[in-house]
Amino acid sequence: MAQASGNKGGRQDRGFAVALAAPAVLIMALFGLFPLLYSIVVSFQRLTLTASDTGFAGLANYVRLFEDGRFGLALAHTFAIAAVALPLQLGLGMALALHFLEDRPLKRLFVALLIIPTVVSPMVAGSMWRLMFDDRFGPINQMIGWLAGERVSILWAIDPRFAYPAIIICDVWQWTPFMFLILLAALSNVDHEQQEAAALDGASKWQIFCFVTLPAIMPIVSIALLIRSLDLLRIFDIVWQLTRGGPGTSTETISIYAYVRGFQEFDTSFVGALVVVLVIALSALLMAALRRLEVAR
Amino acid sequence: MTTRRTTLAILGATILASLQPLPLFAEEDAAAKAVEAAKAFAGTTINVAEEAGLMAMLGINVTGPEWERLTGIKVKVSELPYEELFTKQLLEHKAGSGAYDVLTIGHSWVADLVLAGALEPLDPLIEKYGVKEEFDDIVPAFREGTMYQGATYALAVDGDVHVLYYRKDIFEDPAMQEAFKAKYGYDLAPPTDYGKFNEVCQFITDQTGGKVYGAGLINTGYQHFFFGERFRLYGGKYFDEASMKAQINSEAGVRAVQEMVDALKCQPPGAATWGFGESLSALNSGEIAMTITWPPVARWAQGINADEQALSWVPESTVVDKIGYALTPGGHPSLVPGIQLALSSDSKNKDAAYLYMQWLTSKTESLKNVMRPIGLRDPFRYSHFDSPEFQALWPTAPNYLSVLREGDEKGYADFAVLETYKYTDTLARAVIAAIGGKDPKAALDEAAAQWDAITKQVGVDRQREAYKAWASRPSAYRM
Repeated sequence: MAQASGNKGGRQDRGFAVALAAPAVLIMALFGLFPLLYSIVVSFQRLTLTASDTGFAGLANYVRLFEDGRFGLALAHTFAIAAVALPLQLGLGMALALHFLEDRPLKRLFVALLIIPTVVSPMVAGSMWRLMFDDRFGPINQMIGWLAGERVSILWAIDPRFAYPAIIICDVWQWTPFMFLILLAALSNVDHEQQEAAALDGASKWQIFCFVTLPAIMPIVSIALLIRSLDLLRIFDIVWQLTRGGPGTSTETISIYAYVRGFQEFDTSFVGALVVVLVIALSALLMAALRRLEVAR
Repeated sequence: MTTRRTTLAILGATILASLQPLPLFAEEDAAAKAVEAAKAFAGTTINVAEEAGLMAMLGINVTGPEWERLTGIKVKVSELPYEELFTKQLLEHKAGSGAYDVLTIGHSWVADLVLAGALEPLDPLIEKYGVKEEFDDIVPAFREGTMYQGATYALAVDGDVHVLYYRKDIFEDPAMQEAFKAKYGYDLAPPTDYGKFNEVCQFITDQTGGKVYGAGLINTGYQHFFFGERFRLYGGKYFDEASMKAQINSEAGVRAVQEMVDALKCQPPGAATWGFGESLSALNSGEIAMTITWPPVARWAQGINADEQALSWVPESTVVDKIGYALTPGGHPSLVPGIQLALSSDSKNKDAAYLYMQWLTSKTESLKNVMRPIGLRDPFRYSHFDSPEFQALWPTAPNYLSVLREGDEKGYADFAVLETYKYTDTLARAVIAAIGGKDPKAALDEAAAQWDAITKQVGVDRQREAYKAWASRPSAYRM
């Protein structure tokens, strides 16, 4: 009787738990899973803005995707931006965090000022930097001109040699403070006794940083890197505002490529295939990263 | 006898009276007919999609309120950026929202919109309300743009054409003329081909030491328009009709792009990033001696209606009375994008919406609009070019109108096939990449490969039919 009562209680508990989780699961399924499933369905159709035939296309969109040189190039451009911007943001963020770890005059004011770029919308940041880089009215060329002693006309937005530096400068300006904030918080929580013990044992500042501080903050650094990596792999706003993916397609990232194909050319099924491929690739990458960081547990 | 004489006199008088010239019937006026017919729909509201900015301002501030005053029909204007006009209007149709009654479209979109069922055929409404004679007044290239497979789907409202603007004071300077002739062996004059354009441009830049640059062109945005003109001048064909392989990377294409790149040498530093606004600003400030752009620039450079609030963004002109007008080099300017009004098939107020379109595009109303400082409407009717009122607008207006008329008659129509926007976006990117430093041949080869992929996707046979229909228009290649 007591066992029966216990089973009944267990079932009630499970039912209650399911009832509690159901809304969240439903919302996840509706807003997270449904678009993905819909993209999968669309990717096997012939849906475009103008097409009247929207029937089954088999793997045609996937074949077109892998045959399209722009897809591979867009991936390469995205990884190139991430490969340069991420270490710069980490390095500068770390340097700033170490600097502001100690008490400095006007520390609070400087920290508040440093955070400003992060709260600006990337679209606004891109527009602002486009003006900064403007050949006629922008201060960047003017300042370089002062240093060079003659008028300088660098076409940041359309010269392929300068378009990437422009994008990376803007992204680093905007997101280094994010890295700085996270690292500052992590560094503030490092156990000082361990650092002091290492110092007493004769370790240099560099050795303390490498063998005590860094391992202590590594899980947080990893998470910060993961967040920024994912952001960089989806980079759109800054590049769109600065170069529109140009000149030509030379700075076209994967998000811009998807936007152009999806919302300018309305090649809907093709973009469906692109989304499916990207979700699979990024999920694999994310899972591998999480497993490596041992945070999936 | 008397009776007989009287009878003869009455008969003679009757015959004479019958020979008197009959009072002439007043010429039918499409605007007046539209207003009369529209009164039956008073109280309704029509939604008009317009290009954002000055185009829309005309509807919001002038023609919309005027139409409401005349007919009792309210006009609600929705502003859309030019880049989004096609897709947004087509998407609204796909969604069946009926958001717009009147659509603003370009020549190159007609086929796609008709095939998608977004446009209402206008011939029955023209038959019911229109004045067919008024269509004979429209320059043929703009009339062609409103048709698809023999049916009318739009009404011309704007005579888009590129014009070469040049500084008369520099071109007519005896010292400049003498030095130019000594160097090149021909007279300094508005260039008649793009080779000469680059020579004149370089000469002025060198001669003035950069105080005035030879030219400042639109080098970003709309590059498929500028490419299309040069490409066709050199005999280029967009496709090989048999295979439907793209031909934009042919010798004509590479020459066109190479000349555009070469022209940068004589333009101000940074001109490679210039769009419409920069080129207008440089012309008005006296920084450049030549540019190629759209007709409203003439009115702004002349300072017409400079006090108009809507034009406060236009830089003050320092070149009033100094600007001359000429056909673009080669003599076949681009008639792009050829803005026209169409009736949405989803409209619930088709008659009322059509009548507004008829009124706006009529002989009498359109003349008012092409003379207005806002609206960006350009002459597209012969009666516009001949209008004494327009010709009296500023001293050189007759010359301006004569150049526009010749350009409209000789110009190249915008490239228009199925899913044109995909082709032109790819092409424009390739040209901008070349302007940014990429090898023109390599840029065009890549674009041509993408064109072939698009053609394959659209369907080679379907696209061939669409291309042949477009290429058979007199204004496509001007053979």
